[in-house]
Amino acid sequence: MIDEQTIIDALDARVSRRTKRREFFRIAGTSATALAGTSLLAACFGDDNKRRNGDIGVGPGPAPSPMPSPTPSPSAINDADILNFALNLEYLEAQFYVFAATGSGLPASKLTGTGTQGAVIGGRRVNFTDPIVAAYANEIAGDEIVHVDFLRAQLGASAVAQPAIDVGGTDPNGAFSSAARAAGLVGPGVAFDPYANDENFLLGAFIFEDVGVTAYKGAAPLIASKTFLEAAAGILAAEAYHAGLIRTVLYRKGIQTPSLRTSADRISDARDSLDGPTDLDQGISPVGNASNIVPTDANGLAFSRTTGQVLNIAYLNRMAVTRGGFFPAGVNGRINMSAAN
Amino acid sequence: MPEATDLIETFDARVERRTERREFFRTFAGATAIAGGLFLSHAPVAYGQTAAPTDADILNFALNLEYLEAQFYVFAATGSGLPNSMLTGTGTQGAVVGGRRVNFTDPVVAQYAQEIANDEVAHVNFLREQLGSSRVAQPAIDVGGTDPNGAFSTAARAAGLIGPGQNFDPYANDENFLLGAYIFEDVGVTAYKGAAPLITSKVFLEAAAGILAVEAYHAGLIRTVLYGKGIATPAPQLIEATEKISDARDSLDGPTDIDQGVRNRPAASNLITGVASNIAPLDENGLAYSRSAGQTLNIVYLNRMAVSRGGFFPNGVNGNIRTSAAN
Repeated sequence: MIDEQTIIDALDARVSRRTKRREFFRIAGTSATALAGTSLLAACFGDDNKRRNGDIGVGPGPAPSPMPSPTPSPSAINDADILNFALNLEYLEAQFYVFAATGSGLPASKLTGTGTQGAVIGGRRVNFTDPIVAAYANEIAGDEIVHVDFLRAQLGASAVAQPAIDVGGTDPNGAFSSAARAAGLVGPGVAFDPYANDENFLLGAFIFEDVGVTAYKGAAPLIASKTFLEAAAGILAAEAYHAGLIRTVLYRKGIQTPSLRTSADRISDARDSLDGPTDLDQGISPVGNASNIVPTDANGLAFSRTTGQVLNIAYLNRMAVTRGGFFPAGVNGRINMSAAN
Repeated sequence: MPEATDLIETFDARVERRTERREFFRTFAGATAIAGGLFLSHAPVAYGQTAAPTDADILNFALNLEYLEAQFYVFAATGSGLPNSMLTGTGTQGAVVGGRRVNFTDPVVAQYAQEIANDEVAHVNFLREQLGSSRVAQPAIDVGGTDPNGAFSTAARAAGLIGPGQNFDPYANDENFLLGAYIFEDVGVTAYKGAAPLITSKVFLEAAAGILAVEAYHAGLIRTVLYGKGIATPAPQLIEATEKISDARDSLDGPTDIDQGVRNRPAASNLITGVASNIAPLDENGLAYSRSAGQTLNIVYLNRMAVSRGGFFPNGVNGNIRTSAAN
């Protein structure tokens, strides 16, 4: 968006939502400013909600003070920045599903662009036991490939290259293993292999799916072009269909294999531990006599994540960093820094 | 549809999208005409010649749809409808031809029904709260399962699931409940997606995106269960039924194919050659489809012409957006 102040003025009194959006602009603005060569204003990264809640140990931080509205900046992010941010996430999802479905990664022709192209630590074809799960993997792999194609086509020459990606399943210090360890699924020195069997594949998919939904929802109000907005809403819906699929299958299989439900719950908790103090994530275990396929707030709305919060999860780091986890060298594009939580 | 087949070959995706938006405005203009005692649905209004619907108009349109979904799921899960305190507002409040509690065989399906009922009730409450005194009352709604001429029976007959004089009861068993839910779910997704670019307030836009996502989760859930039961039970008629209902919806909302059942299809990319399910109904770019308000009303009115009532809304929806598209 060009005029941050205008947008913020348009917001109603929903403080939490406003806080989130302020955080988005702060992060995006800082990231752009940093790239432009000026100093990184780390003090600006704090989230006033966090300090008020006081439930996360990020260090003392600056004293609470009235949060000024961000100043409109000529280097503010634009639609291309947001679509490129999304493209990084689609590269990640596509590589995971394509490896799981076929044993190979995306062809080189889909990986070129601006920024530094990186290598993929890849996976392998899952030897699916349940042919229905194999059909799901094939469907989602196809969808994620065309999301990459679509965003690259829309962005044209400004499309970012695929950054380095780690979707491997053998390294105990790889991204999947680190995420699974943070969730308590594997112990020290043990690898988590999302390609080992149906169940691990579903849990690997679960790590990503809800994050995509919250990322597109958080970005939707920031997109200026109505055409891109409608396209982003279309991808948002696709990701929510995928997430609904994965969660439904884990829930159903969790009757026979209860660890699937508890593992999904733990992954949700791990994501929540990375993206700040607000609970933006839910597992699948039943609440009363209802399932919990859909993670929603009290109003029945899906959650939003800022780009910084999304990168907290993708980088597996709750601090403000520019690389790590599934993106060992960081994402390409101007939006590349996680939030400080 | 025949009246517009000339459009099929010539419209690319972008033109199509612009057309949908134009159609949305035209529908809104039709509503204005009706309010003024005229009926101009066959006189298309050019894009830009009429005022755009306000955000309140769009949210009220959505509220009508949420009333419908909530009544269906709450009856299925509890045997009762929404409390009267959730039904008041502007326009004419209508009665509900209600359903009954489903005697679920599969306890997991019962849990799904309860979850979706909870979410849809929350959506009604949320939209009513956002709209305040401008919220529309619940219009007359038909979610009954016993009348052979009721909305569910008419929809199921259009899909070829039942014959003449028969009724379709979505409360009869797990499978019928899932198919009843399926009739609605993808429509909600396409309606919110179609409306998203028309919302001016960023706050309402983000909220609408939040409901859009939830409807897509619901739809993913329902489609996954129908697919799984269709293959594993096996009950291939469930999978075929999703295709038939999808075709029936497509026959109502215009010439473009914007609807898909769950039957296996080739994956979206030719890099994937194995058998692929079709839980997510998407276009060739992997995007969900959009429906204009008029197209959405074609489906809930069960009428492909420009009308202002019918089907699940026997007296029409309340609010300024109320006329279906002429297809």
